[in-house]
Amino acid sequence: MRRFWIGLAFVLSPFVLFALFLLSQGANPLESYQAMLRSAFGDWYGIGEVAIKSTPFLLTALAVAIPARAGLINVGGEGQLMIGALLTTWVGVFYLQGVPAWVGVPVLILMGALGGAIWGIVPALLRQYARMNETITTLLLNYVAFFTVGYFVHGPLKDPESFNWPFSPKLDEALRLPTFGSTRVHIGFVLAIVAALVVWFVIFRTRVGFRLRVIGGNAIAALQAGIKVNRMQLLAMVFGGAVAGIAGMIEIAGIEGHLRPMTGFGYGYIGFLAAWMAWNHPLWTIGTAFLLGAISVAGNALEMTSGLPSSSVSILMAFILLTVLAVGRGSKAS
Amino acid sequence: MIVEILTGAIRAGTSVLFASLGEVVAQRAGVINLGTEGSMLGGAFVAFAVTYQTGSPWIGLLAGGLAGLLFALIHAFLVIQRRANQLAVGLTIIFLAQGLTAFMGQDYVDKQINGLNPIAIPVLSDIPFIGPVFFNHDILTYLVFLLVPLIWWFLFYSKPGVLLRATGEREEVVFSLGKSPTLIRYLAVSFGGLMAGLGGAQLSIAFTHTWVENMTQGRGIIAVALVIFAAWLPTRAMLGAYLFGGAQALQLALQGRGLEVSPFLLFMLPYLLTLVVLFIVERRKVSSMPESLRKVFEGERGGG
Amino acid sequence: MGETALQRETLLRASKLIKRFGDFTAIDEVNLVLQRGEIHAILGENGAGKSTLMKMLYGVYVPDGGALEMQGKPVTLHPPSRARSQGVGMVFQDFRLVPALTVLENIALSIDRAGFLLNKTKLAQQIADISERYGIAVNPHAYVWELDLGQQQRVEILKALVQGETKLIIFDEPTSVLTPHEVDAFLAMLQRLRADGYGVLLITHKIREVLACADTVTVLRNGKLVYRTSRDQEMTEEMLVSQMIGSAELPRAPERNQVVLVDEVAALEVEQLSINNDHDVTLLTGLNLTIRPGELVGVAGISGNGQKELLETLYGLRKVKSGSIRVAGADVTAGSVATRMERGVVYVTEDPIHESVVPGLSILEHMVLSGMEMSKKGLDVDWSDVRQRFDSLDVVRTLRVAQADRLVETLSGGNVQRMVLARAITRVPKLLLIAYPSRGLDIATTRATQKLLLGLREMGTAILLISEDLTELFEISDRIVVLSNHSLYGPYDPADTDPYQMGHIMLEGDEQA
Repeated sequence: MRRFWIGLAFVLSPFVLFALFLLSQGANPLESYQAMLRSAFGDWYGIGEVAIKSTPFLLTALAVAIPARAGLINVGGEGQLMIGALLTTWVGVFYLQGVPAWVGVPVLILMGALGGAIWGIVPALLRQYARMNETITTLLLNYVAFFTVGYFVHGPLKDPESFNWPFSPKLDEALRLPTFGSTRVHIGFVLAIVAALVVWFVIFRTRVGFRLRVIGGNAIAALQAGIKVNRMQLLAMVFGGAVAGIAGMIEIAGIEGHLRPMTGFGYGYIGFLAAWMAWNHPLWTIGTAFLLGAISVAGNALEMTSGLPSSSVSILMAFILLTVLAVGRGSKAS
Repeated sequence: MIVEILTGAIRAGTSVLFASLGEVVAQRAGVINLGTEGSMLGGAFVAFAVTYQTGSPWIGLLAGGLAGLLFALIHAFLVIQRRANQLAVGLTIIFLAQGLTAFMGQDYVDKQINGLNPIAIPVLSDIPFIGPVFFNHDILTYLVFLLVPLIWWFLFYSKPGVLLRATGEREEVVFSLGKSPTLIRYLAVSFGGLMAGLGGAQLSIAFTHTWVENMTQGRGIIAVALVIFAAWLPTRAMLGAYLFGGAQALQLALQGRGLEVSPFLLFMLPYLLTLVVLFIVERRKVSSMPESLRKVFEGERGGG
Repeated sequence: MGETALQRETLLRASKLIKRFGDFTAIDEVNLVLQRGEIHAILGENGAGKSTLMKMLYGVYVPDGGALEMQGKPVTLHPPSRARSQGVGMVFQDFRLVPALTVLENIALSIDRAGFLLNKTKLAQQIADISERYGIAVNPHAYVWELDLGQQQRVEILKALVQGETKLIIFDEPTSVLTPHEVDAFLAMLQRLRADGYGVLLITHKIREVLACADTVTVLRNGKLVYRTSRDQEMTEEMLVSQMIGSAELPRAPERNQVVLVDEVAALEVEQLSINNDHDVTLLTGLNLTIRPGELVGVAGISGNGQKELLETLYGLRKVKSGSIRVAGADVTAGSVATRMERGVVYVTEDPIHESVVPGLSILEHMVLSGMEMSKKGLDVDWSDVRQRFDSLDVVRTLRVAQADRLVETLSGGNVQRMVLARAITRVPKLLLIAYPSRGLDIATTRATQKLLLGLREMGTAILLISEDLTELFEISDRIVVLSNHSLYGPYDPADTDPYQMGHIMLEGDEQA
């Protein structure tokens, strides 16, 4: 019983902290929370928005969770998503005009995966051949990716009819992801859930996943069991990057239709939060990504009702993850 | 143009140097703090806001340093006391700082302040070439010039400095000497945060005199990476920071001359440069990385 | 050296000291007196309580009973910083040094005096003076990681001597890291310390050194003081040995069946093997070793002479510098761990808690990782099949392995060792590389383990066994080899040699080889 109350206190503490913060900014926390809840879960539109918003978070969370199972900290979901989006747009705009959807969409998914995989394999190789820590290299490569996208949308990929706005040309309508009925919810959401299930299955229900978990648990023991640690870690980064790259593809083909400098900006980091909140468990990331998606959607409500900028919800997100990290090893996780 | 780039290198690199020096100390004690980026951002914003409100850049500077320290304390608590993953905590602190400063800083964008201005040192600044490059800067730049040898001297010629290094290497030895590794780490991380806060303050109230959302642009992360490049030596951290500054200055100089290079490729330069220098040093055979840090990087038992 | 009144002053008097760990009494009412200028040796086998006793004197443990006096005054010595200020210094077996700092910095750290500055010049001079007086030269500006073990020991001794208050120095198995030449220098230094009026407590199990230098000898067995003698009374090798092990005779080896060697191909053939250590310095060179199926070869040697690295190299975890390794006739020198596993090589590490335990995985999952066959079911492991086989395994019962679903990180050290052993022998390996199998096990399980190893041997497994327990090696080995001075000596037939001779080779190598 006592454990339950302590647990509850931990769950509530970030929300209490955020309430105090709202108070300090002259907003009514109760009204704000009410508005946030209503916007995210008040009607089907809200829930649909949450689903759309949480799709990239879920995929970038998986991009963190897969390498984490192999003992790697991939913070590069951000850049992997962007390069995935860039490659998707490039191929979609220049080579797939007029191609039917059943050919074009799978090719685009592959392109997204390829872009992300490239951005994932670089830090993995740097780790293996130059002993560079993947956390730092993935972080630095995020900036490189961001400016690379900037370069393309201001240059080679710029839409000539965009009146100097840094946009790429629009993707063919045929290449856009189908949506459910009249909503904005696209099949990307289903794709992400399926990806999470597949990742879960591979990690917990296959021999390859078993080896991966051994590496993440104790790399020395893995070596002694004859597991090829380097190769598995390389694969983990490639697949992680690919999943993030698919998130980029979905942003282009499912939501925006064209590439902007800020496409997917910050999603990689939110995915990182989602993965660590879920202790890198692929099924739990569905829940945490959805929660963070809801908080993002609610942030817009906060802006409208309380006049607080939507960025304020990232404070709430950080509070939540800090609490999870603080509880950390105290409870038996991972 | 060379004078312009060199002067620019020092102007642009000083904020990174502050943060790097702080990280040298923190990492020597065995704690890596990616939240340095958050501390810098917090320092930049708080220093700007307080300077704007009080009209005094000095109070602003102090407040900025304290803001950086506060973020570092969150890191210290979670990492030292709660034994949470150092890299994950650092990233979360970046996130927190970005949210907080974006939120509180929206009213301060486009505001004007009377910040810290360059002070030409008499006589010295008249020396051709050297004068403008080294002796016509804001007071924080001069301060950081002094801090480099001071921190070096502290680490290698004072007893607390040796104790700090021992903590980063073998905490059980420090413990067996009857000293507290926990306390030493708290102090080192706090110092790192303070320095990052000052670095951020230099960026907003001395270098640019403006506040822009997320204005540090990864400088804190670069500062952390440069410490590795610097092999945990203050003098080499100085070289690294001004190399970064040089890349920035080069970018500004080329842009100013309307060169036909996309600015985005130039923006990438400092990050690519950091990657390249890391690539070069990490191939060294014997690494001078403190043992506790190696545990963080290689995972004591993996990433969980 | 005249016997002055000062030199007979009593430094330390311990009366009826007791230390318990749970139900286990590690030290039971032991008395000890140490004079100025006296070398007092504490002799005993592993686990006799020598280290526990010394850790009480150095303030690491608080005694559970008894009294301590320094120079006639009752004292408390806990924590170590207090013991140091009372004049007790200790040279540990596992050095308390920071490798990345210089000698001088390490020494500066240990000085309890306050002060902000390091004053390197003054300290360097002080170190030079002491080094010269006691013949323990070491470069104060060298990094500790650059020093060999003997030099590191000098730094530890300097740490104790630089501290001005030190009157008494405890040495914990000091000669185990020294070469024979260094041992002589070490003994000379002890004489010098004695002459200067220091009290010396020497923990050891090497009787010859005791005979060479000790004024007084105390023998501990199972935590009790069983024998005490001094130079002016009877002090012979035979007497001390019999007191140490409790009977005048060495325990005889148990019955070992002769194995008929059907297979002519050697299970392991090592030729001219050389290995470097982590700093890329030669560790072992020119090793030759052949093990036939059904043969158990024991490896003796002072720990740190390359035992761990040798096994790691044979198992493919470490690069070979030169030479070749053949397993059952096939060259695996450049092969991976996996190629060796396929050929039936199994490795049991000396540190299973850190190197074998994977957090989050159960015993069953650990069993499959190496050892039990990973039966397949689609893409997955057939866990129900594995479980059934696990439950029917004899070794699991013999070694009392915990339940299949227990998370291994929740097991005690002994239970981890049992699991590691069980999975190593479940599939009857062709070649078993095993380090310190009885470490952390009770006597009964140790015996069971030895029986299992002998059983494997009869089934045709070739075994390379590393142990620090010479008695164990003599009991179960067919042949014994010795690692010492970067080389491998032997093989020796246990019937033709004895532990003393082995001990000699462990220290000095074998001139006839």
